[in-house]
Amino acid sequence: MDRRELLKMVALATGGIVIGGEFFLAGCKNENAGIGGATFSNNDIAFLDEVAETIIPKTTTAGAKEAEVGKFMTVMVNDCYDEADQKTFHEGIKKLDEACNKMHGHGFMKADAAHRKELLTSLDKEAKEYVKTKKKEDPNHYFQMMKQLTLIGYFTSKPGIEQNFNYQAVPGKFDGAVPYKKGDKLFV
Amino acid sequence: MANNNTYDAIVVGSGISGGWAAMELCKKGLKTIVLERGRQVEHIKDYPTTNLAPWELLHRNRNTNKIKDDQHIQVRGFCNEANSHFFVNDKEHPYVQKKPYDWIRGYHVGGRSLMWGRQCYRWSDLDFEANAKDGHGVDWPIRYKDIAPWYSYVERFAGISGSKEGLPQLPDGDFLPPMEMNALEQHVSESIKQKFSDGRRMIIGRVANLTKGWNGRGPCQYRNLCDRGCPFSGYFSSNSATLPVAASTGNLTLRPHSIGMEIIYDKEKRMAKGVRIIDELSNEVIEYYAKIIFLNASTLGSTGILLNSKSDVFPNGMGNSSDQLGRNLMDHHYHVGAGGRYDGLKDKVTFGRRPNGIYVARFRNIDEKTKRSDYLRGFGYQGGASRGMNWNSDEMGSELKEQMTEPGDWSFWLGSWGEQLPHLDNRVLLSKTEKDKWGLPQLEIDCEWKENEIAMRKDMMNSAAEMLEAGGIKDIYTFNDEKAYPGLCIHEMGTARMGNDPKTSVLNKWNQLHEVKNVFNTDGACMTSSACQNPSVTYMALTARAADYAVSELKKGNL
Repeated sequence: MDRRELLKMVALATGGIVIGGEFFLAGCKNENAGIGGATFSNNDIAFLDEVAETIIPKTTTAGAKEAEVGKFMTVMVNDCYDEADQKTFHEGIKKLDEACNKMHGHGFMKADAAHRKELLTSLDKEAKEYVKTKKKEDPNHYFQMMKQLTLIGYFTSKPGIEQNFNYQAVPGKFDGAVPYKKGDKLFV
Repeated sequence: MANNNTYDAIVVGSGISGGWAAMELCKKGLKTIVLERGRQVEHIKDYPTTNLAPWELLHRNRNTNKIKDDQHIQVRGFCNEANSHFFVNDKEHPYVQKKPYDWIRGYHVGGRSLMWGRQCYRWSDLDFEANAKDGHGVDWPIRYKDIAPWYSYVERFAGISGSKEGLPQLPDGDFLPPMEMNALEQHVSESIKQKFSDGRRMIIGRVANLTKGWNGRGPCQYRNLCDRGCPFSGYFSSNSATLPVAASTGNLTLRPHSIGMEIIYDKEKRMAKGVRIIDELSNEVIEYYAKIIFLNASTLGSTGILLNSKSDVFPNGMGNSSDQLGRNLMDHHYHVGAGGRYDGLKDKVTFGRRPNGIYVARFRNIDEKTKRSDYLRGFGYQGGASRGMNWNSDEMGSELKEQMTEPGDWSFWLGSWGEQLPHLDNRVLLSKTEKDKWGLPQLEIDCEWKENEIAMRKDMMNSAAEMLEAGGIKDIYTFNDEKAYPGLCIHEMGTARMGNDPKTSVLNKWNQLHEVKNVFNTDGACMTSSACQNPSVTYMALTARAADYAVSELKKGNL
């Protein structure tokens, strides 16, 4: 699928714009580009891998962990997010763990798959509600970021694309009306 | 020194029109030097990202903060991780914005012909007569009949795919087989034909992608990665098409890193003597001499060189006794239209990444019946339908994954491209205070949308929604982004307009400076009005026509 299509899809699936996106305001220089700033530990990456795996788990096809989505998230936050979003994301790792404590009485890494899913379902709802009423100057929601980066990271990864879709680097032709039935792999 | 640096012809710039000038002049036997301000980009060899899969781009084609900072203007256009090396670094190439203006540029061999949108539409007499009829700007010195054979000539070489439709306002060309519309586009196109009595038509885009092998190039492989450069030569660029033919004649010298400073004037002969350049890397100033000079440095680049070519005879820039040089800067206004989703065709998907969409030819102000009272001129549409993944999900985990890997609804997007009227005060000047790192004056751009464009946008938006509705599209949304400033469409035109009268125009009907007959300009600067069609194929045709004229004048001893 093309890039615009993916970003549109990700934006809609997470209830808003794609965070860290391009700047459309003419004459407005990007002065808050977050070059440098806090870095991520290996523990952070392992934690984010588990969050991503809960959003997109291994089934008959690879999950987000196998697609190295945790590491991808840290690269994107470091290289593409502005400073405010970087801060929100870093704090979000702690906030997610605290939310797990509150819901299940222990941290996220100790939670089983069912508890993790229950937590993230509730955070997803919380983030979508937040986005609906958020003012422009309010910070973004950390879980919206994590879900967006998971979907972008997974659905642009090698296993994410090759195992779920009919991907061909060189299609060689265009057909605008291919018969489709449920279970067919979608061409991307 | 003079002998070594003397050629029959000089072409300044190697983009879409410079490539054509070089090829035509070389084919006609002229020893030609092309002076390109940026680096060499060799076809295929210098397309580093062309074969990368989505996962091989570290940021999956998102712009990094470094790109957003270094290329803070370019990222508002089409610059992304995979093609950012073809867009300028805004910090190295500053200009002054009196009003917000997005100047999107590629400084390298091939220029923006590598990243262009490739849409090719002929203009008609509706466009060439527009200024004369409503009094905005000056009359074009040519009509459709003057350029029609040259459209055919360039189409036959470049390879433009498209369908013949018999629309007088969008003349048919010498096309390669058209690409096909997808299932929803066919449905919407048919509905529009049935439901509107004003003759509006949705057709497949006419695009410089090769639907069959052509002149040793292509065919297009439907990867839709054109802006990275194509290893299959599947679309037209200077690098894939015109420059290789120019080189094959043995008459071409290509000099990268050569920033055009000024054209040197010979007061005795009342002709240009040559071009003075500064080497981008060494800062060495060098002169090249020739009998014919083609200025193809892009609209603003060419006009900047002319403005900087000052002499006793031309204190305000070469060929500028009319004071028209730099004025009437135009672009197309866009980022306005509508979209929505479709409930049907659940049993159909698409295969291949078609690097093209649909086109809706202009249908306003084309005759008495379609005349509007609220604005002059008109607009067209580009866009298309697609069916991608299923995004609309509140699920989590395996349910989310399963839903997202299934196809979602079909969606349709229609964006409009509108004509901008020429205005004397939409202009470019040389800054009196700001210089670039080579000591050349920066350009100062002062341009804005005016009443006619703003009035037109309402109709552009509403008509898009109306056509989608007629096609059965649901949940229609509309958009009209007034922050899409001039320049962003990358169709900048005007500033050295053609015209019959030297008192009110810069170039004559052969694209010669009225006042300096051996200087030709055939890029966007020469345009007298902007029409609403993508302009590149018109630059190609005007270039081939002017080159033919220049060589015949040279042979007659007139140049």
